[in-house]
Amino acid sequence: MKPIRSRSVRAIAAIAVAGSLALTGCSSDSGNESKDRAKTQDDAASQQKPVQYADAAASNGPAAEVAGAKSGGTINVYVQSDLSHMDPGQIYVSDAGQFANLVHRGLTNFQEDKNGNLKVVGDVATDSGQPSDGGKTWTYKLKKGVKDEDGNVITSKDVRHTIERQYSKVIFDGPTYVQTWLSGADYRKDLPDGPYKGKHLPDTVLETPDDETVVFHFNQPRPDLPQALAMAGYAIVPEKQDTKEKYDKAPAALGPYKVSEYKAGKSLKLVKNTQWDAKTDSVRHQYVDGYNFTTTIDQASQTKRLIADQGEAKNAIQWTDAVDTAQIQDVVSNAAVNKRTVKGYQPYVWQMSFNLDKIKDKKIRDAITYAIPAQAMVQADGGRYGGEIAGGLFAPTLPGFDAKYDPYGKLKKPNGDLEKAKELIKEAGVKEGTKLTYAYSNSPRGQAQQVIIKDALAKIGFDVQAKEIDRATFYEQIGKLKNPYDLYMTGWGQDWPSQSTVVTPVYDGTQIADGSPNYSHINDPQVNKLIEEALKLEPAEAAAKWEQAHKRIVEEINPAAPVYYSKTIQLFGSNIGGAKYSVESSYIDINNVFLKQP
Amino acid sequence: MTSPTKAEGPGPSVALDPELAATTEIAVPKKLEGRSPGQLMWQRFKRDRTGMISAGVVIFFFVVSALAPVISKLYGKDPYTLYAQEPEYPFLLDDFAMPSGAFGGVSGDFWFGVQPQLGRDVFTMLLYGIRNSLFMAMVLTLLCVVTGVLIGLVGGYFGGKVDYWLGRVTDFFLSFPNQLFFIAFMPIVTAMFVSPTDETPTYLRVVAIILVMWFLGWMPMARLVRGSVVSLREREFIEAAKVSGASRWRIVRKEILPNVVTPILVQATYTLPSNILTIAFLSFVGVGLVEPTPDWGRMFRIGAEIYEQNPSFLLFSGGALVIFILAFNLLGDSVRDAFDPKTGR
Repeated sequence: MKPIRSRSVRAIAAIAVAGSLALTGCSSDSGNESKDRAKTQDDAASQQKPVQYADAAASNGPAAEVAGAKSGGTINVYVQSDLSHMDPGQIYVSDAGQFANLVHRGLTNFQEDKNGNLKVVGDVATDSGQPSDGGKTWTYKLKKGVKDEDGNVITSKDVRHTIERQYSKVIFDGPTYVQTWLSGADYRKDLPDGPYKGKHLPDTVLETPDDETVVFHFNQPRPDLPQALAMAGYAIVPEKQDTKEKYDKAPAALGPYKVSEYKAGKSLKLVKNTQWDAKTDSVRHQYVDGYNFTTTIDQASQTKRLIADQGEAKNAIQWTDAVDTAQIQDVVSNAAVNKRTVKGYQPYVWQMSFNLDKIKDKKIRDAITYAIPAQAMVQADGGRYGGEIAGGLFAPTLPGFDAKYDPYGKLKKPNGDLEKAKELIKEAGVKEGTKLTYAYSNSPRGQAQQVIIKDALAKIGFDVQAKEIDRATFYEQIGKLKNPYDLYMTGWGQDWPSQSTVVTPVYDGTQIADGSPNYSHINDPQVNKLIEEALKLEPAEAAAKWEQAHKRIVEEINPAAPVYYSKTIQLFGSNIGGAKYSVESSYIDINNVFLKQP
Repeated sequence: MTSPTKAEGPGPSVALDPELAATTEIAVPKKLEGRSPGQLMWQRFKRDRTGMISAGVVIFFFVVSALAPVISKLYGKDPYTLYAQEPEYPFLLDDFAMPSGAFGGVSGDFWFGVQPQLGRDVFTMLLYGIRNSLFMAMVLTLLCVVTGVLIGLVGGYFGGKVDYWLGRVTDFFLSFPNQLFFIAFMPIVTAMFVSPTDETPTYLRVVAIILVMWFLGWMPMARLVRGSVVSLREREFIEAAKVSGASRWRIVRKEILPNVVTPILVQATYTLPSNILTIAFLSFVGVGLVEPTPDWGRMFRIGAEIYEQNPSFLLFSGGALVIFILAFNLLGDSVRDAFDPKTGR
């Protein structure tokens, strides 16, 4: 997914607090109460297995029943703010991704078993895709009987429309993998108006020989296509239903639920989509009658309501928000509440990106890497339930994750190795008091971490100039190629469980551009070559190449100091059944939830 | 507002206050003695217990903040060190980044506990926070008083067109929505003077805060002073001074100003605490002083976020703020009463 963006604008509750002072009571000794351990890397192991591509048999519905599942009732959903998008083409951020799981369907989808093993199955397509010509050509056949919410049958024209509309200017926020693979980085030039003015991509690129067949033609092997197509961003938009910009407010559903009422900034209601046929879907269920979203509840009150578990909160879940960091302790130290949590890794690795155009000496970068007190940085982000110290730049959710990989000794010395750092600084010949500009996002976490970074780097002789950037534009500002900053904390997570969705966007020198997530501007021929080679290989074979690239990046170039892997902990009400952590979405698994007493 | 005749009159004002007569030197037979208004005020003030206590509290705060560096040195901690990372204090914070000791980590080493997440010392943070707030509020109050008095005097004394235009300017400034203006302009003011690669220096933030607040803070004083001056302008003693050929400047300085000192002083004692609150508010919403400068308002904000888990943090920072503001406001009341005993509450 895209870098973490906090879209929540905290309401300014300024005064009034003084009055509540007298009410605060005593607190008990807060230490060591919880025996429960935070999820550690062992638990993430399930997120590491390579994804398998399933055949037609596994792609047929209906999905396996969830043990003890009942039908009926409505689940309440607590969200801080509106979903970022509802038009599938625009969906890239996980809140809308979860929504897409209920409402939209793509050519393929991820199926997750009880142990968290992932398979790519056909969703609207009969299977995960048939490669030919060494992986350069992919053929998809469509299932019979898939309809949109108005009963129109989905044909290959709709699939073509879905891909082609991403070329138009209507779509600007979604993933760009498939378009780029089909038409290159400047893909928009090939079809500037999308399909809206009657033009289409040539058959040599995207072919629809009959109503049930779609063929993708690439100029090089694209073994990751089935996983890319499983992203919410490539879910089908039926040609007849497409209302361009308006589609973002009123999308047509293919999945088990459809939008029945949407009040911007307030609420969203989903009801059963009667046109959805369980027999065509091997992943989704339609246990509950609907979902009621309230999009105005901030994280702290979500947590409070769910801890209290009274009335409608019993039927409530958190969507993509987590337990409020201040209240994590209340949640995990209370066994009855702790039972109602899902915990797991998020795919994000927080790293201190160096601007390689400014900090050119690797010794300085290494020194800073050694000096960063990763432990304290985690403490500033909710402690052990918010994150875990990182040794490398690959998250525990990626296949082939090596928990022992720790070239900079961050795991051994969680508060940094100042001696080593000072030594390196001396070797590099840096004068005491050299200025370094550290840009940070002006959020409570950003401010706290800024204090730590400033303190640590001052100890090795830098004069750190901390610049605050408004959090809404943080990634935009540091994404500029000519940004004036030396250091910045960035987070990036995979789009699907493959290293290609981490290394390619973030460390590929050929992708450096304004707004690209290559925040460090690393451009190493060796890394670029490894990426090029790995992209052509099947996931299993590619793993070795990715690992090689990873080591080269971390040890020999060091464009970004690994700091910590982020984790999530979510609460749900006592009447919710089937709740578990989803490896694919890294949030509560929305496909299997039901109400115990509808 | 005090009436000039009363403040001017030497003896009779004792008679106005029979209580006062009763308490003064009983042993020595009464010898009528002139007392200045200041002495009278002081006598009345001394008998006001609330006033004395709140004066004590306020003085305590001022002394503590003035001596913050000394106290911090004797106490052996400073507000910037992240003690949770120092090898001497390995278990200051628990797994949840909260203080591991009871009641926010209060101990012999950390009298007011430690800050969650970062592990700084709350006691010295509070000391320096008070120091910064008081310093800024005092400078700001001084500026507002001087500006307000000048504009009020000029407008009130000269009258006519000058008064009209100054009055309109005052009205214009009064019509700004203060707090929204602060939030919108603080980042712009700081961004104007700093290169994009350099951190905004703390002194610049302080100057910017004071300037922006001064800009919108002098009007109440100007209006008050103008009102008093207008009522004084036509009095006989002013006319007498005019007739005897005193210069305008002398009249303003020697005849008018001494008669408006009381409302100025009273207004100033109300302005200072409200300035402290506004400065704290700016930090609370994130446009005032930023980390790592210790600040009262920001401590309050952190405390408000975690008050359920760690009430001590809010208790210390909020408690100090409430006590100070309350004491200062009571002091203001007492000062007013002492100057002007006839005005009922």
